Amino acid sequence: MKSRWGRRVALLVLLAAMVCVFRASGQEYPVATKTLKNGMKILVQTDHSIPNVALYTFYRVGSRNERPGTTGLSHFFEHMMFNGAKKYGPGELDKVMESNGGSNNAYTTRNVTVYQDWFPRSALELIFDIEADRIRDLSFDPKKIESERGVVASERRSSVDGQNEGLLDEQLWATAFMAHTYQWPVLGWMSDIEHWTMEDLKHHFEMGYSPSNATMVIAGDVTPEEVFALAEKYLEPIPSHAPPPPVTTTEPAQLGERRLVVHKPAELPLLMIAYHVPQTNSPDFYALNVMRSILFQGESSRMYQRLVDKDQIALDVESESDNAFDPTLLLFLAQPKQGVDPAVCEKAIYEEVERLQSSPVSDRELEKAKNFRLAEFYRQVRTINGRANTLGTYEVFFGDYRKFFDAAKNYSAVTKEDVQRVAKVYFGANNRTVATLVPENEEKGKP
Amino acid sequence: MRMGFAGWVERVVKKSSKSEKQIPHPAKVAGIRDDRSIKAGALMRLPALPLSGQAGRGRYRVVGFALVVALLGGGSGARAQKLQMPAHEKVVLKNGLTVLLLEKHSVPMISVAGIVKAGGLADPVGQEGLASTTAGLLRKGTKTRTAQQFAGDIDFIGGSFEADAGADYSSFGAEFLSKDTAKGLELVSDALLHPTFPQAEVEKLLAQSVDGVKAAKDSARDVIFEYYQGYLYNGKGYGRPAGGDENSLKKIQRDAIVKFYENYYTPGNTIMAVAGDFNPAEMKKKIEEIFGAWPAKASPAVKEEAAGSMKGKKLLLVNKADATQTYFVIGNVGVSATDPDRVAIEVVNAVFGSRFTSMLNEALRVESGLTYGATSFFSLQKEPGPFAMFSFTRNETTGKAMDMALEVLKKLHTNGLTAEQLSSAKSYLKGQFPPTIETSGQLARLIVRYEFLGLDDNEVNQFEQRIDGVTPEMAKQVIAKHFPLENLTFVLVGKSSEIAPMVKKYADKQDAKEISAPGFWAGTK
Repeated sequence: MKSRWGRRVALLVLLAAMVCVFRASGQEYPVATKTLKNGMKILVQTDHSIPNVALYTFYRVGSRNERPGTTGLSHFFEHMMFNGAKKYGPGELDKVMESNGGSNNAYTTRNVTVYQDWFPRSALELIFDIEADRIRDLSFDPKKIESERGVVASERRSSVDGQNEGLLDEQLWATAFMAHTYQWPVLGWMSDIEHWTMEDLKHHFEMGYSPSNATMVIAGDVTPEEVFALAEKYLEPIPSHAPPPPVTTTEPAQLGERRLVVHKPAELPLLMIAYHVPQTNSPDFYALNVMRSILFQGESSRMYQRLVDKDQIALDVESESDNAFDPTLLLFLAQPKQGVDPAVCEKAIYEEVERLQSSPVSDRELEKAKNFRLAEFYRQVRTINGRANTLGTYEVFFGDYRKFFDAAKNYSAVTKEDVQRVAKVYFGANNRTVATLVPENEEKGKP
Repeated sequence: MRMGFAGWVERVVKKSSKSEKQIPHPAKVAGIRDDRSIKAGALMRLPALPLSGQAGRGRYRVVGFALVVALLGGGSGARAQKLQMPAHEKVVLKNGLTVLLLEKHSVPMISVAGIVKAGGLADPVGQEGLASTTAGLLRKGTKTRTAQQFAGDIDFIGGSFEADAGADYSSFGAEFLSKDTAKGLELVSDALLHPTFPQAEVEKLLAQSVDGVKAAKDSARDVIFEYYQGYLYNGKGYGRPAGGDENSLKKIQRDAIVKFYENYYTPGNTIMAVAGDFNPAEMKKKIEEIFGAWPAKASPAVKEEAAGSMKGKKLLLVNKADATQTYFVIGNVGVSATDPDRVAIEVVNAVFGSRFTSMLNEALRVESGLTYGATSFFSLQKEPGPFAMFSFTRNETTGKAMDMALEVLKKLHTNGLTAEQLSSAKSYLKGQFPPTIETSGQLARLIVRYEFLGLDDNEVNQFEQRIDGVTPEMAKQVIAKHFPLENLTFVLVGKSSEIAPMVKKYADKQDAKEISAPGFWAGTK
């Protein structure tokens, strides 16, 4: 468990009339922070350029905190957070929010559950009222539980049954992890979706939704003073309780390659390769991302050049990773062209990995990767939505939102030797799990 | 070209919180779908369908583009009062190139968005995808750069360059840090002015595009609108796939690409917006230096065929034998991007289908749990684009969900809108509008599109008052006129053996296709 989530002394940075002069020289995105007495931390980033606000609430609970039998519960719970509390009953939250110009969404990962509100500044107090209502007094209507079960089942059919990469991704994680709770899908197994009970939901609420387990980030047309005053009024009175029990299981080191195959009707095959890598706040985070840029980012990247452009064996190659509290996976994905054996793509990928391990990258490649990361910073920071999400992500996964502003600097510090070292340490054959989807069209008798 | 990766792309976008796509995407107005063609994976307001790594609630995030506050000039502490399109300047170079310049210093970046006034509608019949392929090849070899060198140069500055075509026009877009302005503009001009279309790159891209269509067919959601457009317009006009299909892409030759480029890629046929962190006088000078060298030349006009709405009922069932869920679209031809009713339609559609608490989503998702999402949209293009209701549900409940969608449509006609619904929709649209014009990229795409369509800044400056001006009477008229009850086209992608008996009742005219059969719907005589 992350001790960094302990309560902190309230740190109130008073920022009078906000001046946001976002120039290349001396980027200034002042962030004011405050920790409420119940342990909930609030971050405020003022920007008056549009009369709108993005509000993100991060709860440090996700599918890693689940148990077999109730997999997918964090995500189902996320849906239930919109289905009625004491003041705003079933359906009310959305109706009230939209009729006041707001909209909302949420997402669940293996590690966190994040709630998003986007609204005109005139709705600020209303949003605090709504957020407090559901954190304090969520209710579970048996009828809503049943209809929402159908919604989540439909979601699963769409993103797993109806998306080959979703299906393969799920099987890959289930194979790469044998001990840690990262092994099951965020959406949960279909049979678990069918069997959750109201008791399970209540337990999840008690387990994961203490205010001390949350961080709220607000970016936009607000001042820290008004936000903190609203937070004190609406959120601070909500009592804190114990955070989720620590996830103590450590995945044992993988001692040899694992492989899996999925046969199903499909037009094209798919290939995914997963490597175990450290958690997000590891010092190797930056070197791993630089390595990923060199391999996968842009059409001049090594993998694109090799598989898509030169060998013409793949339609596309990508790399995926997700922020994680515990050691996680870094995925390589390739969409082989029709008629190309995924093994051919696999071989080309390994050759590129070996090239990275055996000789240092060029100065130009290293600089290119850093330039990509700098541009990425500006893309994240240019909207209030991007700022709220990214500041929250750094605060939650690195323990400090300021790491976001240091990102470009930290990427600059990565050396060729670092890239070569992480390539050697993490991208060996014994550490990988390989998943292929093989098209099988029984009716047409295709192979 | 990355159709099959729609799911991945979505996941990446969501995780990294990029609020806009890098691919140049024609502007759209919040509440109404408004792109040039319905492209795989580019659906607005569809629930995000993430992989197991991240599951969301699938709200319909409004991803339109629109205005920004009149507070440029940077650094003011004052709070914005009235939303206004930031000042921008229009310059027509001697060679006829229209340039729009919009200064915005929020981040040290430059966004370029351009339109060449010929798209899929200019493709010869049987060679659908020609405009799109031509655009895709712009960066794949120039007089001074190979495709690899171009990629190396744009990537090195952390920038992006993309080009593609929809039905109405071809578009290109670029983004780079303002410190790299000279290099970035030079790369844009190189792709636009000096492409050489090397034979090897032509073959490579066409082969990838064919496979891209096949990969997309592995996901019903990624292709259903291609079938719908084809079937609705019976394979003509907007019914021709702008991205091409497995048949048409194979017929495209290099000669046709070169000819398309020479005919249509001329300065007089091009509008280019540059927005971001620059000094306008300096930028104007640079652009004149770089793009002024493009020789003037006349381009033929592209004939646009406006389709009236379709009479009667017809149904296309596309068989995907492994489907556990049926995807369906119901609709007819809608309105153009300049239709005088467009604002009232946007308000009515917010009540009916575009937002989370819409009548459709309330009925099919919130009340009954039949689906992860139900929505409706108007695809706003130069000529009337499709109107569509869209949802998906498990095989057994296909008929139930479709009946329900039709009932909701009927209810819209019978009951009309309450004062409360009207007022809520207006607040919603106004509240969600500002973030759609927050960045220089959004603004560049918006102004270039307005210029193409002949719209002006009042789309932004008068947005609120136009929304406020929608009366109950106007809403009533719009419902009667633009939400068809009797004349409907149905397209389903699902498991025929289970759902065919359920859907016989919707239309006397029934058609069927296998998803693995090449093409979408090329039309019947």
